[in-house]
Amino acid sequence: MRSYAHMWFIGPALFLMVVILLLPIGVAGALSFTDYSLGNAGADFVGLKNYVQIFTRSTYEKMFGATFRYVFVVVPLTVGLGLGAALLINSLGRFGDFYKTIYFLPVMAALIAMAIVWEFALHPTIGFVNTTLERGCGTWLEAWGWYAHGCAEGFPLWLTDRAYAIWTVAFIGVWQGFGFNMVLYLAGLTSIPRELYHAAELDGAKTGWQRFRLVTWPMLGPTTVFVVTISLIRSFQVFDMVEAFYPQGGGPSKSVYVMMFAIYEKGIQQNLMGIGAAITVVFLGFVMVLTLIQRRLVERRTHYV
Amino acid sequence: MSEATVPVAAPVVRFSTTETLKHVVLILGAVIVLLPFYVMVSYALKSPAEIMQGTGGFFGSQEPFRDEYCVKLGNPADDCLVTPIAYNFTTAFGKAPLLRYLLNGVVVTGMIFLIQVLVALPCAYALAKLRFWGREAVFGLVLFCLLIPVHAIALPLYIMLAKLGLTNTYAALVVPWTISVFGIFLMRQFFMTVPDDLIDAARMDGMTEFSIIWRVMLPTAVPALMAFAIFSVVAHWNDYFWPRIVITGDRSLFTPPLGMREFKGDVDGDNFGPMMATALVIVTPLVVAFLLAQRRFIEGITLSGMK
Repeated sequence: MRSYAHMWFIGPALFLMVVILLLPIGVAGALSFTDYSLGNAGADFVGLKNYVQIFTRSTYEKMFGATFRYVFVVVPLTVGLGLGAALLINSLGRFGDFYKTIYFLPVMAALIAMAIVWEFALHPTIGFVNTTLERGCGTWLEAWGWYAHGCAEGFPLWLTDRAYAIWTVAFIGVWQGFGFNMVLYLAGLTSIPRELYHAAELDGAKTGWQRFRLVTWPMLGPTTVFVVTISLIRSFQVFDMVEAFYPQGGGPSKSVYVMMFAIYEKGIQQNLMGIGAAITVVFLGFVMVLTLIQRRLVERRTHYV
Repeated sequence: MSEATVPVAAPVVRFSTTETLKHVVLILGAVIVLLPFYVMVSYALKSPAEIMQGTGGFFGSQEPFRDEYCVKLGNPADDCLVTPIAYNFTTAFGKAPLLRYLLNGVVVTGMIFLIQVLVALPCAYALAKLRFWGREAVFGLVLFCLLIPVHAIALPLYIMLAKLGLTNTYAALVVPWTISVFGIFLMRQFFMTVPDDLIDAARMDGMTEFSIIWRVMLPTAVPALMAFAIFSVVAHWNDYFWPRIVITGDRSLFTPPLGMREFKGDVDGDNFGPMMATALVIVTPLVVAFLLAQRRFIEGITLSGMK
């Protein structure tokens, strides 16, 4: 009897893994070659047409543009600010926990709720941000050209001006995400043996920068690999803010038309499952390649450290 | 322990400018981080007029004002005087069934966690402690599935659920999350550290494998399970994408994030106060829980970094 116990233990998990995680990938792959819509009896095989569209039409060019702009702003900034905050907090004797708590708050708060608060804070006329900026008019701040322009012509419509929208959304992404990376870095910092710093000092590493370059940064290598990958995957999946700010169409001239929103718009809103499935496949490709690169890097490191 | 060694490195007398500078930078960061929280709490307390004119400081004057909507309903004007706080929160709970949404949130996150544990724990135990044909293959499959973000396969999952006629049900909210490969991986790693002697002793006592899982392994795994619970609950309480896809019309199935979004959709100009009150109600449970048990929360949320 005992020899069959494992079947009962593995069975449910195995079944769910196959049905919920693997089968959908197959379904997406199959549908991406068709023009399927929910409610239709069948679907026609259209070959690579959906993929050709994704890589030729200007809508999808905007989609990749918005996604990569967002990712390439949010990832370096969340990683950099996370590391910076962790180093500063770690170097403080007291009060460190106080800052840690504050910086971690946005990670806990429902992004959809906080995005709506931000939208309100960024409201062009009654929003907190622009009314505060207006208060600075007529002071030395006007020496800054951008500021003087804002005072004369009105400060930007952060979320509806094409020139600002994607960067504003990215800013909120950074605001929300860097506390998470900070905590990972703090954990990484505590695992660096003190002796290494003493040894570096004996070897002539006098300044803080030298100690950072010789000890901290290399020792944080595995943490950094992980932090960068998880930040990449999380920021590729940005959706909540975009849907809340721009329920239709993906922002001013589609400048915030990120991939997850495109999947949602094509598949759910417009019932174009074929093209939605094709974007899904491309998206999965990105994410899986990133994770595999991370695993490879981690493995290589563990071989000689 | 490590803190004790820090003062040795830094001369004590140097009430240094660098230290002050660090605080300046960190406080500046804290101000930006807290800004939307400040806006949210403050506007949840203020009257529409104060919000529009930007007056009243943080708490607002809390002077009663006349609720025009209440007057329009035909009530005598004197009965329609309300204080801003009361107005904001009663509107938040009255205009939409916010309480129902919160309850849905609790039910859905609770169900998800419960089923995740019921599925993952036995599997993790088998992978860690039982020897059987195909074990390596199953574990390999778990490692492969760790690569798949469930949000990314939302579209095919939605089609499958729609084919089964399950959209707009509680099942649609729960089913895709019942399998947590991450939970399996995590618990397996944990069970690997449990000594075999413990299990052998239990077998000697005549316990079945099934009762070993729930009466021997589960109690030893409580700390890891707590962390996993926090990880799971935070993710699903805050999740907006998935409910948005599978719950399309039926308000009685809305989770808190959907309720928040609905409120924003039909906001008619001066309803910012109640909207911020809704945001506050949705955000508060997790934030308070976090403030009370910070270490556990940080452990739980960053679990995925523990590989």
